[in-house]
Amino acid sequence: MKSSRMLIFILTSILVWIVAACVPDNQNKSEDSVKFQQYYVEGERLYKVYCSNCHQSDGSGLGRLYPPLVRSDFMQKNLAEVICLIKYGRKGELWVNGVMYNQPMKGNPGLTELEVAEIATYIYNSWGNVHDRVEVAEASSILAACPDR
Amino acid sequence: MLDTRSQTLIIRINKLRQYQVNRLLLCTLTTLFLLSCQMNEKPLPIFGEREVVGTDTVYHTIAPFAFVDQDSSLVTNETFKDNIYVADFFFTSCRTICPIMKTQMLRVYNATAEMPDVKILSHTIDPEYDTVALLHDFANRLGAESNRWHFVTGVKDSIYKIAQTSYFATAMEDKSEPDGFIHSGAFLLLDKQQRIRGKYDGTKEEDVNRLIIDIKRLRRDEK
Ligand code: HEC
Repeated sequence: MKSSRMLIFILTSILVWIVAACVPDNQNKSEDSVKFQQYYVEGERLYKVYCSNCHQSDGSGLGRLYPPLVRSDFMQKNLAEVICLIKYGRKGELWVNGVMYNQPMKGNPGLTELEVAEIATYIYNSWGNVHDRVEVAEASSILAACPDR
Repeated sequence: MLDTRSQTLIIRINKLRQYQVNRLLLCTLTTLFLLSCQMNEKPLPIFGEREVVGTDTVYHTIAPFAFVDQDSSLVTNETFKDNIYVADFFFTSCRTICPIMKTQMLRVYNATAEMPDVKILSHTIDPEYDTVALLHDFANRLGAESNRWHFVTGVKDSIYKIAQTSYFATAMEDKSEPDGFIHSGAFLLLDKQQRIRGKYDGTKEEDVNRLIIDIKRLRRDEK
């Protein structure tokens, strides 16, 4: 009898402990998803201004002139290079899903680190692409190390 | 009290009356519709100044030109003899409206694939950068065949002059612009006598839909 009471006590405290541990975690999560939403919405607006002319609003690109961002293997493999090219541009051959593109893309040096992170979050989470939010801290450390700044 | 026979007769007569009313309605509507079509079918306007010489009216046409296309072939007014064509002004390194114009012009190109008498003439306004080799690659990557879609380069001042005086389109250098040029996103529709028959905003899908319809009308009218 005594031991079963003891057991219940232990179990309840473990439960309380688990719940207590979970609550702040949940709060963290929802805070995170609000952040994600903010990045995504702002990223979409910036994408329409700076990128959709060429890559199209559905990310499909244009012929062999402007590469697609929809399920691009280049994007999946090269987050750092993509962050750099958004701000500093790129030229030379570039392969996306087995097709060679070669047309200079001018950079947008006026974009802030936050804006670059927002655009990256948007393109990495649209049209079937799935990725975590690209944090401004991550973007800024990548940008600081871009080869041709 | 009516017998069932005359009752059904009355019903029949009523139905017939209803039917006639319906027919009358249908007829009026059809006539109205046809009339409105007829009204829509007035020929496309002819742009620019006109002069009356004797009994003839002389219209504004495209001045003589000679440019070089992506295959290094000479492109002149002769190239478009007996052809309808669509003209525009762009440059390959432009980031703002040109990519949208090219997306839309590609729609025109695809919509006219089965029309051997319809061509496209895209002039670069940055001939120093847009060499024949560069235009060749650009056209190729866009998927454009050189016999239907000419990307031309030439003497800069000749291009600017023909843009402004023949096509009524803006094209000039402006160092204060982000990409160094100002130009309009207009698409111009030219008939077989090289008269301007329509002007469209090449950055707007609806305007380009109208252009595609007008090309078909012009072909019908010019047969
Ligand atoms: C003027 C047209 C143009 C604009 C505007 C433009 N790009 Fe690009 N983009 C290109 C071209 C051309 C390439 C290929 C570059 C090369 O050949 O080196 C490219 C390559 C890319 C790539 C890598 C290839 C791929 O498809 O995965 C990404 C990612 C990309 N651009 C994203 C963007 C983003 C984000 C913006 C807006 C900030 C943008 N681009 C604006 C033309 C453009």
